[in-house]
Amino acid sequence: MLVAVGTVGCGAGNGEGLNIAGRPLEEGSNLALEPTLASIQVNIFDPSCVVCHSGAAAPQGLRLDAASSFVNLVGVASTQDGSLLRVAPGNPDQSYLIRKLEGTASAGEQMPLGAPPIPQSTIDFVRQWINDGALPDSSGPTDVAPVVVSMAPSPDTVSADFPAQITVGFDQEIDASTVNALSFSLWRSGGDGVFGDGDDVAVDAAATTLSATNFRLAIMDLDGVAPIEDFYQVRLQGSGANVVLSVDGRALDGEFDGSFPSGDGTEGGDFVAEFEIRGLQATLDSIQTNVFIPTCAVAGCHSGPSGPNLPTGLDLSSADASFENLVGVQSRQDPSVMRVQAGDANASYLIHKLEGTAAVGGRMPQGGPPLDPDTIAVIRAWIDSGAGR
Amino acid sequence: MTGWRQRLVAAVLALAALLLMPELRAEPYIAVQKGLKCVSCHVSASGGGKRTAYGNIYAQTELAARTLDMGKLWTGDVGKYLAFGADLRASYQRVDVPGQPSSKGSDLDELLAYAEIKPFPKYLTLYVDARLRPDDPVIREQYARLALPGGRWSVRAGEFFLPFGIRLQDDDAFIRQVGGINFNTPDSGWEIGYEEGPWSAQLAVTRGTAGGPEVDSGKQYSLRVAHVNSRWRVGGSLNLNDAAAGDRQMQNVFAGLRTGPVAWLAEFDYIIDEGLPGGRRKLMASLIEANYGYRKGHNLKLGFEWFDPDDDVAEDEQNRISLVWEYNPMQFVQARIGYRSYSGIPQNPVQNREQLFAEVHLGF
Repeated sequence: MLVAVGTVGCGAGNGEGLNIAGRPLEEGSNLALEPTLASIQVNIFDPSCVVCHSGAAAPQGLRLDAASSFVNLVGVASTQDGSLLRVAPGNPDQSYLIRKLEGTASAGEQMPLGAPPIPQSTIDFVRQWINDGALPDSSGPTDVAPVVVSMAPSPDTVSADFPAQITVGFDQEIDASTVNALSFSLWRSGGDGVFGDGDDVAVDAAATTLSATNFRLAIMDLDGVAPIEDFYQVRLQGSGANVVLSVDGRALDGEFDGSFPSGDGTEGGDFVAEFEIRGLQATLDSIQTNVFIPTCAVAGCHSGPSGPNLPTGLDLSSADASFENLVGVQSRQDPSVMRVQAGDANASYLIHKLEGTAAVGGRMPQGGPPLDPDTIAVIRAWIDSGAGR
Repeated sequence: MTGWRQRLVAAVLALAALLLMPELRAEPYIAVQKGLKCVSCHVSASGGGKRTAYGNIYAQTELAARTLDMGKLWTGDVGKYLAFGADLRASYQRVDVPGQPSSKGSDLDELLAYAEIKPFPKYLTLYVDARLRPDDPVIREQYARLALPGGRWSVRAGEFFLPFGIRLQDDDAFIRQVGGINFNTPDSGWEIGYEEGPWSAQLAVTRGTAGGPEVDSGKQYSLRVAHVNSRWRVGGSLNLNDAAAGDRQMQNVFAGLRTGPVAWLAEFDYIIDEGLPGGRRKLMASLIEANYGYRKGHNLKLGFEWFDPDDDVAEDEQNRISLVWEYNPMQFVQARIGYRSYSGIPQNPVQNREQLFAEVHLGF
């Protein structure tokens, strides 16, 4: 008690020679707030989070000191909500860190605990950092080969949402001329989940470039790529003819064992990581597998072959049959519309039947619960995108 | 007040408690005032959690300014084998950070429910402490506790709050926040307890991840020993967390003293962290608190806290001064109005904020 009493006369520090986090200026310097980890560390994590999130027993095992924040955040599953990563590079809305800071997390209190919320204008810098790939401190080494420090979608994850782009972050700036479709490629397994067995399919990306604003972030634009359920493999060349090089001309140290950073400490080596897209996609094959087969083409309903007993002659027993009987085919129940009007879901009788707005007959699937709106939305997306085979 | 009015008031307050319920956390100053151990009023020997039968009876007969006649006293026991409790804490607060607009708002801070299943009363207890807030349901504690014949030794295994220092109600106090052992950080493992005469001791071995999953082979070892007398108490705690990312070693001394109507609490923590940038870092935090029970049902709490984030860095210290009035108008109901002033380095406005709060707390 005497020791505690002795501290009563101790006042607050005057902060001389310290930065906003109370650390000596020579240690962290006074960085202006910007969307980099170094700046976020000094301006947000150190002053607002580290008082609790440090030491061996940091809450949820989440240490946020400068030596630990990157490896504990980026690509690491949340312990409170296992469906989310603490930081999902390229996707701030799906990053648990953002939800905790903005007070929208599924568990626990808004952070920082017991203190005023961090202003949204400040959180937006964290959002921007994540959106830019959630790269580590910009003072990364330049006298060694570049390594991969993040990828979105995260390696070895399964998702129903086909990504709009693939981003790969490096620990140092990359020579933009070496990031192209030959050095940075995407493949799918051909449906068997096995790569290198001769049936791999190259995915033709819309563009493959280095970010124009962040020279440590490579972006593969997947705009227009059909969202097919399959296993996907991201490849970056660290050896061979078309190699990703740092601005210093060092080849990528890419060997990846499942955890970042990549590399074996020796220049060269390809980066290879996989992810899986599984679940309903806006393609006929996916809709066939996930909707028509289990829901419509059941015995006694729209199961082939076509014949007088098949409901309205509509055979949905295979993707080919579905395409032939749906797209551009006049509805028998309402001849004023096509069963599927390519490019116009609202004018497609299939949608009317699924949403219960058709002029004739009951809502489909008959005798079963209606399809959930998300499923119908995917079917709509397939139709609106042209209802391709 | 007539009987039916009393019952109506009680019913309204009970309903309010269920709708607004705050967390009923430990109030260690009461233990000092009464010269009792933590385990006299709470299920946890180091403080906190569901109230015991004595804790409930004390809340009804001595803590409140007046006791509404509810007939039979509530003990928490529902038959021989079951016991329940609950807590609710709702608050309004205003925070002023220099150079920033004031933030203010109301919130349901805590809604907790406790359950004890006692298949072998006095010996074996299964205990659950659950946060029921709709947007944040979580099991905070869940363990089995076995008391050996004679009552001196006990063992518990499961997930529980670790024994370390004074179990303050306020998790934001420096000594609770900096040490990281508080009501937000249960850990999984086992604990041996010892209660004999004035002595109270607990030794726990746990994962050391503060609610997170097991990440390495290292464990956290917590030892808390207290000697409790009718007017004073003194104790100490040791905690070692053996972690791959860097060990943390914590130690503290704590004490309580009753001088007339004033109950004093004091604690001093010294923490050594390894594995931080720059290597080892030494942190210190202290609290001294006076609780003036100037009238039955009223308590005036004045607290001073000090925190040094790094003993090797000068002029980085922080203070917090609290003045809180606590009023228990009737059993199970508490109102709290408080003011807190933070002082820290001028570069960080949040370290120099002021906080006003009003809180309703219901618990049984």
